[in-house]
Amino acid sequence: MAYLFQPDYVRYVCSCGSLKPISKMYFCRHCLKIRCGYCVCHEADSHYCPNCMENLPSAEVRLKKNKCSNCFDCPCCFQTLCTRAGQAPLRPPASSADAKQDVKATPKKVYYLSCSLCRWTSRDAGIPDQYVATGGWPEQENPNSTRISTLIDFHKVLASKEKQEQQRKKFPTKRTFLQYEKFGLTSAMVRKRAGKPLEPKSLIQHSDQPAPAVANEEVDDLPAGIFTEAVDITKITTLEQRLQHPDVQAEKINELRPQHKQFLVKRSQRCRGCEHNVSKPEYSPQSIKFKIQLAAFYHVPEIRIVTCEPLRVGVASELLLKICNPTQHQTQISLLPLDTPTTPTTVTASGEEQELKRENIQMGSESPNLLPLAVRQISVTEDPKPITVVSGAEIALPECPLFLPPRDDAAEYDETNDASHFQDDKKVVVWRKGNKIVVRLHVTPFANEQNKGEPVIVGFVLRHGYVNTLATLEHKAPQKSELNVQLFLTLGNLVGTA
Amino acid sequence: MLRYEGIRYISDKQMVVLDIGSAYTKFGYAGEATPRGIIRTEVKCPESKEIRRIFNYIDIDDLYQLLVEFLHLLFFRHVAISPKDVRIVVLESLLTPTQFRETLAKVLFRHFEVGSLMLLPTHLATISTLGTDTVLVLDVGYQEATLIPVYEGVPILKAWQALPLAACAVHECIKKDLTDSIPNLRIPEKTVEDIKVRTCFVTTLERSAKLGTDDAPSPPPAVKYPGLKTIEIPGYVRERAFEVLWERDNDNLSISTMILDAIVKCPVDTRRQLAENILLIGGTTMAKGFASRLKSELNTLLKSDLYSDKLKIQTFKFHKAPSKPNYTAWLGGAIFGIADLPARCLTKENYLKSNRVPDWVCLLDNQKDDTSNCGI
Ligand SMILES: [Zn+2]
Ligand SMILES: [Zn+2]
Ligand SMILES: [Zn+2]
Ligand SMILES: [Zn+2]
Repeated sequence: MAYLFQPDYVRYVCSCGSLKPISKMYFCRHCLKIRCGYCVCHEADSHYCPNCMENLPSAEVRLKKNKCSNCFDCPCCFQTLCTRAGQAPLRPPASSADAKQDVKATPKKVYYLSCSLCRWTSRDAGIPDQYVATGGWPEQENPNSTRISTLIDFHKVLASKEKQEQQRKKFPTKRTFLQYEKFGLTSAMVRKRAGKPLEPKSLIQHSDQPAPAVANEEVDDLPAGIFTEAVDITKITTLEQRLQHPDVQAEKINELRPQHKQFLVKRSQRCRGCEHNVSKPEYSPQSIKFKIQLAAFYHVPEIRIVTCEPLRVGVASELLLKICNPTQHQTQISLLPLDTPTTPTTVTASGEEQELKRENIQMGSESPNLLPLAVRQISVTEDPKPITVVSGAEIALPECPLFLPPRDDAAEYDETNDASHFQDDKKVVVWRKGNKIVVRLHVTPFANEQNKGEPVIVGFVLRHGYVNTLATLEHKAPQKSELNVQLFLTLGNLVGTA
Repeated sequence: MLRYEGIRYISDKQMVVLDIGSAYTKFGYAGEATPRGIIRTEVKCPESKEIRRIFNYIDIDDLYQLLVEFLHLLFFRHVAISPKDVRIVVLESLLTPTQFRETLAKVLFRHFEVGSLMLLPTHLATISTLGTDTVLVLDVGYQEATLIPVYEGVPILKAWQALPLAACAVHECIKKDLTDSIPNLRIPEKTVEDIKVRTCFVTTLERSAKLGTDDAPSPPPAVKYPGLKTIEIPGYVRERAFEVLWERDNDNLSISTMILDAIVKCPVDTRRQLAENILLIGGTTMAKGFASRLKSELNTLLKSDLYSDKLKIQTFKFHKAPSKPNYTAWLGGAIFGIADLPARCLTKENYLKSNRVPDWVCLLDNQKDDTSNCGI
């Protein structure tokens, strides 16, 4: 179980080598493997404004530069700005005739932007009030956009020339166009070229070429008053404030302008082994529900630490663990030493045990959220992360398998004790109710000079039966398999030696 | 930004342009005039919750994890795009260590499964912002100042210069001066940076020569800096902050000698043109008075014994890119990247086959048809 403000005491080892609490893991029902945020493929599903919850199709998001057209952030403290209504200041009547009319006219409503956190307002910045509540705020344009557009167009022309050139290069012709070859020449070549007349120049002269920038001998001098004038630091922007608006980077507070709020993305997660979704949220930004959510705590037994006696080097301490079966099927659990191989196994129709591989995993029919076959590519593999945790204690594990009944929500309220249905070793299983048991184990910490002061960690392999129900829709018998997952428990610090 | 620009490129596949600097990362899309944002190149470690700079990595495995964490946030929070199969342009400094480049490519291809990667050398990409092809590009960022002259579109690699004279050194100076004047002051680098940006400037050469002498000019006014405890930043701290970039006491190396030394190493008939086409990029060059101090330093040095017989240059001229210097390199990438040249991209397929990133010098060497240019 994970706690919001506590360290993770029970960590499962993901297929990629990450150690995470079970609440942060997925279980791919197609590969029968644990996955986590690190080893799934994240995809941006939809963009939405976190303030007004508007969501737009991705083409429009691109056009709007991923920003909401209605909502603004405060340029000072980056909180969302509110639109406030106020009265337009009454103009002094120009003549007595106008004055009579004005008495009857209701004052016009105007709107301005205001930050409720730092009290910045669009009026402070000298931005005129608006007569409509949304939109209409003046936009600041990059003063250089025309020039940059010209440069971009020019580079497109150069690129298409180079492409043509490469096409032509397939036939043995003499290369003439060199301007775009900006890379990789050495000074030897420069010298050669410097001595030559500027003949390649003529080749690149064409109508699209923008006027080259002109360098100037004059540079910006220090402001005249800098050595004498006092500085009021509250009127100077911070670097953070400047960087919110990269093309302006205003130095004075009153030059700051409200910034359009950035859209956030809703993400879906795809298993990188089989390209099935392990998590897909509903499209609407208001919804917190998921269309697909293959969280590991629906499929893999959960282990919690109940109690652990104070730990002393060389002394066996009692450790009580609660194990819970979240699935709809009875399962058999074994706790095995950490070095047990974690390859999953299955029992074939003839009754023999064999390794579970991609080929013999029973798959349902192609699910609709799978990418079409033509789009699927060779899977890119990332090396698994090495596990750096070291076990600091010897753990005595029960030899007998443990049986856990399926989850039954109704049984939660059943007061009868059903422990008698199972022939449990009372020394191991100390408590049983519904789909949960508490087991007693013993840990004996090693004397470890290196990890002095660090909490003691023990590890073991949890083997659990898993019933693959994906194929049952096609009236096949569900496939039973045995899955193994490594776990590390953080038990606490040593209290001293015996 | 002009309205039609968005419409024009809407049909194209998007190309993400990243300039991962040692202090700040600039990100956005190719074909746009402004980066979508500028953020610190750092992540909050998910376990220890401390803020870590990417470039302070311990080893390659550590760097890999830091980059995964950083780029995940960058793609989904800031750029807001699914990185899978996206085309990426990354600006890289001349001094980027090979292991950084290799690890970045591995993270992009193996973890994020990007479609293709184009690595552009910062100094070369930058000249796309000017529309000329002879520029001496000086980049003063956080960790170091680097310089490469580009003549008619060709980098003169043997003239390159690099010195650790950049923001980091300036911060050290301010920190030292402040702790000397206010005992027991503990001040995080982020605050030092803020003090630098809001109060410090590059003083003139004339005043600089007199600093610390009996004849010293009266310092600029002190500034009250608010915080948990308001501190007073003495005027001399404000004025002296950037002096480290120009000091030439021991080895005669400063920002200004970098330019002159580079020009000396260039062929004689390129020198005048390079001196008259200087472009300053990087956040540190935005300090008030930087360019004017550089100009007077250069003119004074030119008359000194060190350079007077070596260089016959009359004037220095400076370019202004259509951008703020701290994202000019990014803009270069955004303009160059739009060209979409498959030959310059490393595709996912090719990367997965070879598992390595060709160095940009060899990458482009290989596809050239004349062989007269080896021996870098
Ligand atoms: Zn994982
Ligand atoms: Zn909105
Ligand atoms: Zn505010
Ligand atoms: Zn899968």
